[in-house]
Amino acid sequence: MLIRNRRLSALAAGSLSSLAGLVVLATFAASPARADVKIGFQAPLTGPAATDGKSAQIAAGMAVEDINAAGGVLGQKVQLVTYDDQAKSDQAIFTANKLIGEDGVKLVVNGSYSASGRAAAPVFQKAGVVMIAAYGVHPDITRAGDYMFRLVHLGPPQGAATALYIGKTLGLKKISTITMDNDYGQATMDGFIEAAPKYGVEVVNKYSYSLKDRQFGSIVASVKRDNPDGVYATGYFFTGGPLVAQLRAAGITVPIIGSQAFDSEKFIEIAGPAAEGTYIIDSFDRDRKDEALQKFFTEFKQRAGYAPEGVAAITYSAVRLMADGIKRANSAEPDKVRDALAATKDFPLLEGNMNGFNSLHEMIMPIQVNEIKGGKFTPAGSITDLNAFAPPEK
Amino acid sequence: MYYIDLAVTGVSFGCMYAMMSVGLTLVYGLLRILHVAHAAVFALGAYVVVLVANATGSIALGFLAAVIVTPLFGIAIYRLLYEPLLRYRPDVPMIASVGLLVLMQDAFRIMFGEQGVTFRQNALSFTTFDFHGVTISAVQIALIVTAAVVFAGLHLFTTRTRTGLGWRATVSRPKIAASFGVDPVKVRYLNFAIGSALAAVAGGLVALLNNLVDPSIGFVVSYKALAIIVLGGLGSVRGTLVASLVLGLVEAYGTIFIGAWLDRDAIAFLALIVLLMIRPQGFTGARTA
Repeated sequence: MLIRNRRLSALAAGSLSSLAGLVVLATFAASPARADVKIGFQAPLTGPAATDGKSAQIAAGMAVEDINAAGGVLGQKVQLVTYDDQAKSDQAIFTANKLIGEDGVKLVVNGSYSASGRAAAPVFQKAGVVMIAAYGVHPDITRAGDYMFRLVHLGPPQGAATALYIGKTLGLKKISTITMDNDYGQATMDGFIEAAPKYGVEVVNKYSYSLKDRQFGSIVASVKRDNPDGVYATGYFFTGGPLVAQLRAAGITVPIIGSQAFDSEKFIEIAGPAAEGTYIIDSFDRDRKDEALQKFFTEFKQRAGYAPEGVAAITYSAVRLMADGIKRANSAEPDKVRDALAATKDFPLLEGNMNGFNSLHEMIMPIQVNEIKGGKFTPAGSITDLNAFAPPEK
Repeated sequence: MYYIDLAVTGVSFGCMYAMMSVGLTLVYGLLRILHVAHAAVFALGAYVVVLVANATGSIALGFLAAVIVTPLFGIAIYRLLYEPLLRYRPDVPMIASVGLLVLMQDAFRIMFGEQGVTFRQNALSFTTFDFHGVTISAVQIALIVTAAVVFAGLHLFTTRTRTGLGWRATVSRPKIAASFGVDPVKVRYLNFAIGSALAAVAGGLVALLNNLVDPSIGFVVSYKALAIIVLGGLGSVRGTLVASLVLGLVEAYGTIFIGAWLDRDAIAFLALIVLLMIRPQGFTGARTA
């Protein structure tokens, strides 16, 4: 009994260490053998956020290859140093310290969620390391200091833009709101609720759900009773998909407006025919006639086996922007790169041109809306009134 | 109509919880092990259903495959993981169980992808029936009917059949049962087989309802089912059924009053804390199998 027992635990330990070995191998294999400018990269590669982390990792790898194929920066190759932060704050701080101490990295792209970006930001700020948060939406990330940049609209501005779109463009009056109760879901909904009265939008009832939840029966029954003109929900595609399917199955036919993280082909796959007519705010225009975007789409699909979502596109752009900052600074010194990034004007992201950064290093850019039509993301206008969703300044 | 809609939702939540928790209760009643890895069995069931259904085009075949595969897996967990550890304190097998759950979750992620798997054809989850303004989906009906059949069957099995009586006897008085010729090891196998098959059916139905099986599908089971069996009075099938239905209804009706501030899980755990303060021994003091 004991012997078998030991064998079992040895087996378990063996498979664990070989797994760890694989991860290390993969990290090394992904980076070229000799490279000079190191860019640190954090993403959740295991755990519940691994879906997005994997996409971000593939996209970041593609960006580095494209940069190096075009001659690298400052006559040197770019090397990505990747760590798994599991979208957890403790892991983010641990890997941030590793990047600074062991790898000597001065420039970082954070391809992770708010929880870890928010934890890593002060660590990098203190060490004078430049960080671009690709899609972490918590306000504290840029508040950590002047070495921090963000390439995604903050939650509250996204929510404010949504109120404008629902009130003015769609002309809906009575809205039921469904909030995912994490940082991102709540911050975005707060912005919506604050801005809604300005556009004649009345919030009939508010509901909230947990990130782990996929069964919305009681919320669906309540929304049915509310009988609103539309439903606004914050969430990710893996919560939004089942939510929209269940709302539609209950015979709720009013427009459903979803937040940015609904943006994934998988959303359409999960919600099936129910996805039809869902609006996604701050979604990206996949059909834009842009060579870089179309090339990215084709290549990402080949590598990942699925179409890229917003997370992949913005992570790719974040790495490209970092390289562009190095070029414009004509140096990989973090102070100079920081100043060059702060002075960014009309940089072409895969989503379109960004105007630049404000004083808090928040991105300034119009917000794109998509509607699901015929099972595809179809552009449904963009929200260009930048003042209506201006991010906070310093 | 609203209140009836909520009742339907609550009862279907409850039936789902009952089917996912009963395996845990059975294992606890028999071996005094908190079988945390039951969540992995549930997830395995969901994966087998969706993968087989997509490969063959038949959801029924998916369920059939799941109730064949998961009992074998459940028995393997007992034989390879718990049995060698039974001589130690009960927290040792429990820790092993947690380890297995984490390992399985990552295994699912590596094998079937982070993005999860959806049904190619899932007419069931988009079919609803309207009874004078009360909406019931086909999956909800399936959940309620399956749970009713399963629990009635389980009751008949343990009160009317020889094997079932032997099983019940082993749970309450293992030594006396053994002296009457009941093989305790067979009872354990049976226990894991039935519990796992029920978890798999619940997993498959939840998969249909969500139209998504992702590596985190077992999460709910891992924490909520544990809470349910505590509330049900650890080891009691009847208690588990009652606790599941109560929790489902509390969650559904809780949405009316505090849904704007608290999500369903928070409402459930709040209720759990209050109920345990009132009845620390759970709903049923007595142990039955």
